[in-house]
Amino acid sequence: MGSAPNLKLETTNSKASTASNAVELHGIRKSFDHFIAVDRLSISIREGSVYGLLGPNGAGKTSTIRMMIGITLPDEGEVRLFGENFHRGQLDRIGYMPEERGLYKRMKVIDHLVFLGRLHNLTEPEARKRALDWCERLQIADWTQKKVEELSKGMQQKVQFIATLLHDPDLVIMDEPFSGLDPANAVMLKDVLIELKRAGKTILFSTHRMDQVERLCDAICLIDHGRPILEGDLKKIKASYGKNHVQMEYAGDPHLEGSELIESINNYGNYVEVRLKPGADAQQLLRMVSDRCRISRFELLEPSLEEIFIDQVGKHA
Amino acid sequence: MHNIWTLVQREYIERVRSKSFVIFTLLMPAFMAAIMLIPAKLEQMNSGGESQIVIVANNAQLASAVGHELGNQPADTSDDLDARLKPTVYSIQVVTDTSDAERERLVQQVSDGKITGFLWLTDDALADHKVVYSTKEAADFGQSRQLRNAVNTAVTRQHLLQQGMSSNDIDALLKPLTLKTIRIEKGHEGTSATTVFLTAFAMVMLLYTVVLIYGIAVMRSVIEEKSTRILEVLLSSVTSKELLAGKILGVGAVGLTQILVWVVFAFVFSVPGLVAAKSFLGEIHVPVNAVVAFAIFFLLGYLLYSTMYAAIGSMVNTDQEAQQMQWPAMIPLILGVILMNPIIQHPNSPLAFWLSMVPFFAPILMLLRILIEQPPIWQIVLCIGLILATLYGLLGLSSRIYRVGILMYGKRPTLPELRRWLRYAG
Repeated sequence: MGSAPNLKLETTNSKASTASNAVELHGIRKSFDHFIAVDRLSISIREGSVYGLLGPNGAGKTSTIRMMIGITLPDEGEVRLFGENFHRGQLDRIGYMPEERGLYKRMKVIDHLVFLGRLHNLTEPEARKRALDWCERLQIADWTQKKVEELSKGMQQKVQFIATLLHDPDLVIMDEPFSGLDPANAVMLKDVLIELKRAGKTILFSTHRMDQVERLCDAICLIDHGRPILEGDLKKIKASYGKNHVQMEYAGDPHLEGSELIESINNYGNYVEVRLKPGADAQQLLRMVSDRCRISRFELLEPSLEEIFIDQVGKHA
Repeated sequence: MHNIWTLVQREYIERVRSKSFVIFTLLMPAFMAAIMLIPAKLEQMNSGGESQIVIVANNAQLASAVGHELGNQPADTSDDLDARLKPTVYSIQVVTDTSDAERERLVQQVSDGKITGFLWLTDDALADHKVVYSTKEAADFGQSRQLRNAVNTAVTRQHLLQQGMSSNDIDALLKPLTLKTIRIEKGHEGTSATTVFLTAFAMVMLLYTVVLIYGIAVMRSVIEEKSTRILEVLLSSVTSKELLAGKILGVGAVGLTQILVWVVFAFVFSVPGLVAAKSFLGEIHVPVNAVVAFAIFFLLGYLLYSTMYAAIGSMVNTDQEAQQMQWPAMIPLILGVILMNPIIQHPNSPLAFWLSMVPFFAPILMLLRILIEQPPIWQIVLCIGLILATLYGLLGLSSRIYRVGILMYGKRPTLPELRRWLRYAG
């Protein structure tokens, strides 16, 4: 899909020390009046990886992304992309889908896609050809001559993905990509993203719905109040927490409350999640519960990202 | 530059293709033509016809002299608008009974519509210099003037005859004069002054209208981009400055296109219309330098005001909010139109000079001065320079507000907040 010239450029231009990072932020900071949106944030995103920028609403995710692609400038710190200091020429290698999606309602789908493609320096015929290919692939080829406002919400979302990916970016940045997606489109987006990852593209997600991206990310950065509280390889982070979680399904009442083995309990109605105290033995818990009721499932788990996040925020508070 | 060009193209093509552009472009000339031609046509329809008038006088000779004068209105040699109307055919009836009973009978006849009116031309009325014409059609100024002329002429003629002048001498003496005002342009006698004022007024109002319409179009388009949330998508490949430039240039090009279409319309379609209008307005005369001045001041005015409108659009979230916020752009524009009056009266007075040097009024007032009476070149150059300097400063200010404003949702900024926006790094 025409990515070859960009890749060649990459290998000739990049310096050895930073060649493997698509994005490097060094101590960037952004404040609005007295409110500090991002506070000395440093992250590196390896080329070809899927990276999650995670945190609650208002943590500074969108502000970070905006500085990353030059929509706003950081008050302090440095942004490096593809091994070079940020310059606007790099924007043609980046596809950005903001949280607040938007298209010109009265433009024809094809005209709209060609317009956005041209802004990323595609020629008109090239943009048209790629747009039609993508529309074919995402099954909206019959709608290219319609106005955007005539499309269903789900189809508009497809148009938005195509707009983000039309110029075959090396770095794809998606702010809350799954919010507001219908299930079919969510699966489609996930499949497209996995394919991009296979093609060696770097993908950055930003979301507060950690459960949605947990399985997709290679590395994450948890931020809260503009500050990073945990960064690194997701598998390593999880491993460091150990398998101290138990998920159980049972019939009857296990009387878990007050047990000296248990740190906390999260009851979901159909099942419970139990976090063990440090050093507690899961086998002991199993024996204890099996005496009291019938167990249909008992599973040792790594903690979910959400739990890690809550734990970390607790530590930093 | 590549990005700006792409943005301008989109803005232009989408707008020119839109139904509202096509409709407005077509309807406006029709509307203008209607405004110019319908009142004239109506008057033409009203004029002419036949008036049955009874002249009540003690002196039957005088009465028939008045009737004679009415039938012999002077031939059309003047600039008067309604003198070119179809002449009214008068049928005159002379009555010498000046009793109150006769008057009542005539009143009855007028209200029954049997006669158009009666003229009370008794010796008493003449002695008082007060002659009364009674009719149902009080608003017919043309007719009452014809009657006044006729009575005056007949009375004067009678006096002169009594003084012993010959009929021929009297005719020569009473032959009406015409007065025509001619404007001196560059040492030559040119067009009539009325025409100059009408042309100037029409062109300045066209400038005002188009600047206002397209300034507001820029504002609404910024609001639309904000509310559809397309801005952040665009900002991932273009700068806010490019966006602002693309918008202003694109919309401006649409405005120019519209004016151009109207000018072409005016030439192609209104040739018969022009001929009709000519008979009322005199020759419509638009010299080349007026067209050049219009183009320059339209562009400057549009750039000045659309820059302000873009900043306002970026500060608000809805059209309703914009209504409340657009006064900083609206007031100077309207003030410019209001200030036209003193300048029309004294286009080269010090007041006219100073007012036309204020950059926000200049597009309207300097254009007006140029169209009425060409001011010295240095004044025009100074004025354009001042506008350009203001525009430069305003662009810096607006693009800073715009840059922050387009990413801000929620409540519109207060003045201190706005001041902080100007200081943000980017």
